Amino acid sequence: MAVISLRLKDRDFKRVNELSKIEHKDKSTVARELIEHGWEFLMIKLYREGKLSLSTLASKLELSVSETIDLLSEFGIESPIEYDDYLKGFEVFKKK
Amino acid sequence: MNIVFDSSTLILLAKIEILRIVADDIQIIIPERVEAECTAKESFDGKLISTLIEEGKIKVEKNRKREIINKLCKDFKLHIGEAEALYMAVEKGRPIAVDDLPTIKACKVLNQSFTTAIHFLINIFKDGRIDMQTATVKLEKLSLYGQYNRRIIHNARKRLEGGD
Repeated sequence: MAVISLRLKDRDFKRVNELSKIEHKDKSTVARELIEHGWEFLMIKLYREGKLSLSTLASKLELSVSETIDLLSEFGIESPIEYDDYLKGFEVFKKK
Repeated sequence: MNIVFDSSTLILLAKIEILRIVADDIQIIIPERVEAECTAKESFDGKLISTLIEEGKIKVEKNRKREIINKLCKDFKLHIGEAEALYMAVEKGRPIAVDDLPTIKACKVLNQSFTTAIHFLINIFKDGRIDMQTATVKLEKLSLYGQYNRRIIHNARKRLEGGD
């Protein structure tokens, strides 16, 4: 495990302390978990904005594509596919 | 009809348990990388996809043009599986089944036809392969896993009811 020192805002330091007490975990563990959750949140946000593909999101979260679909469903994250794309998708079956 | 599938649509159809019905009607083709993405970990959908591959209902093919696939990844910010599926569809002149916005955007740029999981559900219902009650239940499941926006789900429901 790598070691870094960083300066936290007073507000963030209070948050780490608060969570440490609530979850009965040491401050380092809490800080690591918050970084992990922050990463997940940011990646999901980028996916929701259409800036990350589904497989890229899966890779960033170190999950399979199936697990990523389950996670997005659990969090109720709406697919970024647009209505006009949906209408265009019918053309494949018209040609059938 | 032959359609190249990306892992997103393949997994969604497996999760709502209509993949076998779709595979009876359509020749599903996937690149090796998509197979690896779909069967990477133990899951119901992974097992179903593996079984359909063994039964020959899903055909796995190899992509050789690595430099073009890498370019697609770079140009459209795609992952390797999505880029392989897209390239295979372009090369074969077949549509691609994909539930992923960056890949759909790439399709639009390349004038490549595409479709998504919800279209397969509506299509097998229109073809009389599943009844109304089953289609409605599958649409509910798909709206959970696929998380299509409300307007899409509303329109799909209307189509199942014969409205469009």
